[in-house]
Amino acid sequence: MKRKFDKILIANRGEIAVRIMRSAQELGIKAVAIYEETDKDAFHIMRADEAVCVGPGPRKDYLNIGKLIDAARQTGAQAIHPGYGFLAENPDFPEACTEAGLVFIGPPPEVIRNLGSKVIARKIALETGIPVIPATTNLDQGPPGARQALDFAARNGYPLMIKAVSGGGGRGIRQVDNEKELLAGLQRSRSEALMSFGDDSIYLEKHVHRPRHVDVQILADNHGNVLHLGTRNCSIQRRHQKLIEIAPGGLEPALTAEICATAVKAARAARYLSAGTVEFLVDPDGAFYFLEVNTRLQVEHTVTEVLTGIDIVREQLLIAMGEPISFTQDQVVERGFAIELRINAEDPKNNFLASPGLLRVYQSPGGPGVRLDGAIYQGYEITPFYDSMMVKLTVYGFTWREAVDRMARALRGFLFIGVKTTIPYFLQIVTEPDFIAMRLDTSYIDEHPHLLDYREMDREVDKIARLIAEINAYEKNPYAQ
Amino acid sequence: MEAPITRGVKPAEILATLRRVDGYYLCNSERDVSQSDFKNRLMPMTSVRVAPYREAAGFFSVEVSGGASVHVDLIRRQVNPFERLRIVRQAMPRTLLQTVCRGASLFGYRHYPENVIRLVVQEFAGYVDVWRVYDFLNHVPNMIPVFEEVQRAQRLLMPSICFSTGQEHTDDYYVAKVREILAATGPDVIISIKNYAGLGTPKRIGQLVEALCRAFPDIILHYHGCNTDGNDIGRMSAAVRAGVKLCDVSDHGYGSIYGQAPALTLIQALEDYNKQAAGVDIQALIKSSDLLRRERKIYESFESPFRGHDPTVARYKLTGGAVGSAFEQADKGGFLDRMPQILEEMGRVQVELGNWWSVTPGSQILWTTAVNNVLHGRYEQPSLDLKNLLLGRYGPLPFYEPEDWIYEKVLEYQRYDGKKWPQILDEERGLVKPADPDLKQERHRLEAELGRPASLEDLALYLLFPFDATSYFKFEAQYGKTWLLPPEVWFHRGGFKDGERITFTDEHGVPHYIEVISTRREGGSVLTNLVVDHGFQTLSVQVEGGDKQPIS
Repeated sequence: MKRKFDKILIANRGEIAVRIMRSAQELGIKAVAIYEETDKDAFHIMRADEAVCVGPGPRKDYLNIGKLIDAARQTGAQAIHPGYGFLAENPDFPEACTEAGLVFIGPPPEVIRNLGSKVIARKIALETGIPVIPATTNLDQGPPGARQALDFAARNGYPLMIKAVSGGGGRGIRQVDNEKELLAGLQRSRSEALMSFGDDSIYLEKHVHRPRHVDVQILADNHGNVLHLGTRNCSIQRRHQKLIEIAPGGLEPALTAEICATAVKAARAARYLSAGTVEFLVDPDGAFYFLEVNTRLQVEHTVTEVLTGIDIVREQLLIAMGEPISFTQDQVVERGFAIELRINAEDPKNNFLASPGLLRVYQSPGGPGVRLDGAIYQGYEITPFYDSMMVKLTVYGFTWREAVDRMARALRGFLFIGVKTTIPYFLQIVTEPDFIAMRLDTSYIDEHPHLLDYREMDREVDKIARLIAEINAYEKNPYAQ
Repeated sequence: MEAPITRGVKPAEILATLRRVDGYYLCNSERDVSQSDFKNRLMPMTSVRVAPYREAAGFFSVEVSGGASVHVDLIRRQVNPFERLRIVRQAMPRTLLQTVCRGASLFGYRHYPENVIRLVVQEFAGYVDVWRVYDFLNHVPNMIPVFEEVQRAQRLLMPSICFSTGQEHTDDYYVAKVREILAATGPDVIISIKNYAGLGTPKRIGQLVEALCRAFPDIILHYHGCNTDGNDIGRMSAAVRAGVKLCDVSDHGYGSIYGQAPALTLIQALEDYNKQAAGVDIQALIKSSDLLRRERKIYESFESPFRGHDPTVARYKLTGGAVGSAFEQADKGGFLDRMPQILEEMGRVQVELGNWWSVTPGSQILWTTAVNNVLHGRYEQPSLDLKNLLLGRYGPLPFYEPEDWIYEKVLEYQRYDGKKWPQILDEERGLVKPADPDLKQERHRLEAELGRPASLEDLALYLLFPFDATSYFKFEAQYGKTWLLPPEVWFHRGGFKDGERITFTDEHGVPHYIEVISTRREGGSVLTNLVVDHGFQTLSVQVEGGDKQPIS
């Protein structure tokens, strides 16, 4: 059933809220922002057509389904886009939307529920004939679970991965290299899973050596169309958190075609709707294994957008309004290379600890092939309550080298004063020979620890400006007496 | 007319030209003038502004480094001394750059270990073409490591004999001293007469030069004087007429009292004697001074409060480079009114301690002794440096020893072991060379302090002045290359007006501007709103209590 939206509520904050607003507003749809009181100066509020304060915060009100539904009703929004994070993969949210007569811009709750459970997702994949990494089912509690784990280890060898069933985003994963670590890790992983996800279910998975992490972007509508928008290489990860994403995924054409077809098959089998990502691990011999499906828009969707020219959020909105996908598979063309990374207010040298504070100066780069998805402004106080991502930088180059050079140029074009950022670390990466040669797998960060050996460089003029401020304050140069 | 001597011409060719030339060459002593008359505050950008004219003026060399300037770079000008040399070299690529080095004391005040001396000279030799080297006791062994490193680097070596007056300071003494130097260096050097306080009459200087030329017919002589008594033109004229080939001079728009006499005055004086300044462009000399006259206003507050030549220097003999700082110290110490008495005492102390040369670090020893004698009683509070001098730590006293009562006062001062001065002298006397430090370990220490790799240049500065160099490196990390600022901004007094714009060009030729939009005081903080290269910034400085606090 087709239904034109006039207004949607964006149940998120930061850059992704702004990103969704842009596509909505291009379609003539008004965007309603929500915010917590602790987030009242956020950029996304200023870009919205309407805004609703959902509570004092921090964080808890963004996760309060009832308050969000109320905000949508109060503003007359017909649909809710969840963005990523927060409630994006919580099946209770689309259910509540449906009950409230609102359209959830994303997959149906049962799809989220099924694919959100790694075990059910694996089951669907196995039934569809999609290769999966050898793994156990949910391990039993106590000694029986330990016996299951030891049996699995005997069959598949070490190393193995202990994974939380409800984990995601790189959390709830532990590598074990021997029996002792395995037995110790089972209990620890259960406790961590319970604390992090409210569910202590865990399972074991065979470790794939030096794999590439490859995603396939898919789109599915209510008219039976399931398309893929090509691959992304997300191998550069720190502690299983993606740091840099690249499109295309860098696989051989035949392998790319096979993995994309597999992703479409998986999406069909799961009765998928809207935008999603099917994740795979690809070993050095080209064998690939299904990992999971992210039932939401991903942070790194921008590389695919830059490479294909397709606005994924626009398509999500159209699909949610009952429209078919605006193009056919044949019309999807990838050209060149795109790289995306996240400029976070973090101190890489201090274990990437968040670096909140007043952003005294912010200047951003531009020019050919540079896309910025940000949610900050000069004078904005970056609070410790939310994600430390300030701006997402995506660059395009016709060749890989052009994209890499452009990324370096764009990174150098930023000016942040007031907070520490991940920029110097990324600059190390994009000028590192293995990265430039595209020798990228999931061990890259661990094998390049020297990337942290950088010096933070302020602009000379900004340093001198400090002295001018001191001369002005002391009414003489305190260093020249 | 001889071809101009420029950088790139080999030392041997330069020396050959100097031996051949009938006239004389001029060495611009910017460093000494800055030190003597402006408390060493001349900023690099002033040197850069005047550089094109100086380059065109045809100087044999420009002295931009050495003496106290290296230390002042670190503590007052906040510029890396190597960087300053690089900047000046870039602005003046053809002219030779000159330094003055205090032998084993290098650019400091006490003897350094030999491996430090060698490293420092090696690093500075990358920039400095002409090395004027002296020892305040004319003790040649103190200069040997510097001689060796300068010659190894194929730079021009200018060993000096410090000159003074009195019955001991005979031609024979100085001829013997030059012979000792030449025996160590070989003949391919320039011997400098370092008349650090501008002592002696023109006639005396002429005689000395003649004596040296007689003793060493191939000698190339350089004269470094001082215009404290106002008569250095007379001495330089006599020196050139007697055979000196190079003279240290100032710009007439910039030279003052305690530095060198003006180049143009010397040129005019010597024309009557048919002595020509080789390679000099008079118009460029005049333009240099025109520019420096305007620039001089910036440094006005650093000029000595006592302006006017002082012929009584013949008695107290303090080096020109120390007179300004002596007055400053007296002013700050609240004993300015006792200066005549102190200078009188300096003359006495000078004679009592052996009538050697009152030039750094000896000048500091004499000055401190004179001040302490006046303020606290004669030799009642001797300094550690005076004690070390009497123990021969700097080398043997050249002419005679102080009287026993002085030894007693100095060596037994704060001596709690009951030993008497003859025993102390017997047991402790002699030149003690400081032990060589482990340079690798020192470098690691510096790197740990700075949290970054240290270059050999960094290490050299650290070994010279450990605390001050470290402080400077930290300053530079926070405030950058502040020497890029116009000197009038560096020495700015009062706050900036709203709308005041500061412009400067960086090393790569890129112009920058910092505009002060407004200033607001909030409690103990001053908030300055700036536009920095099109970007708005608000910078907060804690000034509560008026003391300097780190920027927030």
